[in-house]
Amino acid sequence: MDKARFFDPHAHMTSRTTDDYERMAAAGVRALIEPAFWLGQPRTNVGSFIDYYSSLVGWERFRASQFGITHYCAIGLNSKEANDEGLAREVLEILPRFALKEGVVAIGEIGYDEITEAEEKAYQWQLQFAKDHDMVVMVHSPHRDKKRGIIRSLDVAKEIGIDMEKLVIDHNNEETVEDVLDAGAWAAFTIYPHTKMGSQRMVDLTKKYGAERFIVDSSCDWGVSDPLSVPKTAKMMLDQGVSPEAVEQATWGNAAKAYGYSGQIDMDALGEAVVVDQRELFSDNSVLRGQPARVDGEVPN
Amino acid sequence: MTEHLQGVDQWIRDALVVGGHSKAVEWSDAEIRRASGGELSDASFAQTLSLASRFAPRGRLEPSAEACEAAAGLLEGWNPERWTGLEAVRVRWVLARAAADADSLPGAIEEAFRFADEGELCALYRSLQFLPGPERFAWRAGEGCRTNMMSVFEANGCDTAFPVAHLDDVGWRQLCVKALFSGAPLWRVSGFDQRVDAELGRMALDLVEERRAAGRSITPELWMCLRGEPTPRALVALDAELGGDDELSSCGAALALGRLGCQDRLRVLEASSSGRLLETTRSALAGHHAQAAFGAVSIPEGATPTPEQASAD
Repeated sequence: MDKARFFDPHAHMTSRTTDDYERMAAAGVRALIEPAFWLGQPRTNVGSFIDYYSSLVGWERFRASQFGITHYCAIGLNSKEANDEGLAREVLEILPRFALKEGVVAIGEIGYDEITEAEEKAYQWQLQFAKDHDMVVMVHSPHRDKKRGIIRSLDVAKEIGIDMEKLVIDHNNEETVEDVLDAGAWAAFTIYPHTKMGSQRMVDLTKKYGAERFIVDSSCDWGVSDPLSVPKTAKMMLDQGVSPEAVEQATWGNAAKAYGYSGQIDMDALGEAVVVDQRELFSDNSVLRGQPARVDGEVPN
Repeated sequence: MTEHLQGVDQWIRDALVVGGHSKAVEWSDAEIRRASGGELSDASFAQTLSLASRFAPRGRLEPSAEACEAAAGLLEGWNPERWTGLEAVRVRWVLARAAADADSLPGAIEEAFRFADEGELCALYRSLQFLPGPERFAWRAGEGCRTNMMSVFEANGCDTAFPVAHLDDVGWRQLCVKALFSGAPLWRVSGFDQRVDAELGRMALDLVEERRAAGRSITPELWMCLRGEPTPRALVALDAELGGDDELSSCGAALALGRLGCQDRLRVLEASSSGRLLETTRSALAGHHAQAAFGAVSIPEGATPTPEQASAD
């Protein structure tokens, strides 16, 4: 795993510490995408959204760069907060001011939570915006009534005219994967303990379906989650005989391709060796010091 | 456009052309025509600032040494050596907005800051030095000193004519000490030598004591803050540094002896030192101890600072 590199296309780093960044860098995570989501409790005014989106394109981007990790983001109004309709209208009004910035690779994460009318309105509005600006869309699928939510997400996206090649449906499981593959969209899987996928299940799914349209991510956030779940899952895949090419697709290539349609990902720059700042070397406190992160465990179900 | 703004704009445009970035020039020419054509909302101004990333070149602008000299001729303290192509395009856009209506400029600039990403922040801070009614942007430059994004801190504090001319004493000294504290290149704070004073020297010596108490090394540029009449406290601190084994910081201390006019001490040092320190000592004896001389003893340049330096406190 020495030279392995990983793209974690769903990581809420705002909620994570520098320890996590250190461990991710040491485990080979070279790039990540931080989609906008909710903060665990509802926001009460549009200013909170402005500052949050600002931090995704500003402070968090800078913070990641200190560890040699390239930080992209997705901008969107999440499904939960779409239900506060007055606030949602205000958020959608300012959203275009962030969505077209440098390093914004998608509209996301958007979609359904309870599958309400208000959620659908916000979802449709954002899909239309993505279509008008030829953007990639990252769809969050609901925890409850997931299968119906995913089918509806796909149908509504098709109605609006979103190119399936630019649509990523996230948080899939065994029950939803075929619907997504049949639709021609990218199927993303969140390796997240207890509520989403475990890494062993991900290995089994990859063996069954191949990795051609699969994207593995961690969705690490403020909940019990694992920022190393992409490298851990890659290791388990290799250990259990999944081909290196398939592992590369699921943990690097497909994310780079799907989100690369944004034109915001410079693959040449990502391919270059990470520059460790000489000022850090001078101070003898490189951020990549210490033992490599352990990736030989499994993310439990 | 005023003659001043026009001159700067022309310089940037030429640098982009010479760099072979004709697509970026074409796009920004068209946007600038649009700005001069009539009312431009603050939102539209900020939007174009964002969209520039889709048309401007990635990477450094890389103007020639002669071009940089010409830039300093247009505005003393402005050094575009480290500008990116994207920053160049964005600064052109800010200049166009300034030319369109200077009275409403602060509102438009502040709105752009409110929605800015990291790269836009850098470009906006670099543009402040050119704007009419600069005192209106002094608070904003103070905000730039308070950032923890070191890329932004340097764009606001280094290679620009703004801080030395418009920050108040508290802001100016915070900029300088924070540069030392966080590893930003103090020698690139334009006009430093004109504004360094006894109070900044006092703060620097306090920092020396704090760092020595913690067993930490002294950044070589700290010694830049000593100038004018040598005080006993300064000499004790310098002697301690020169008696230690940190070569780079000793070189900084040798330059400081030159700045303090301590020729005798420099001659003693010349007789007892070797290698890089000897070289620096001779240079200081020859009178080369202005802020630019500290470039040679500064911590090597890199892309990002350490996380420890960008801590919350």
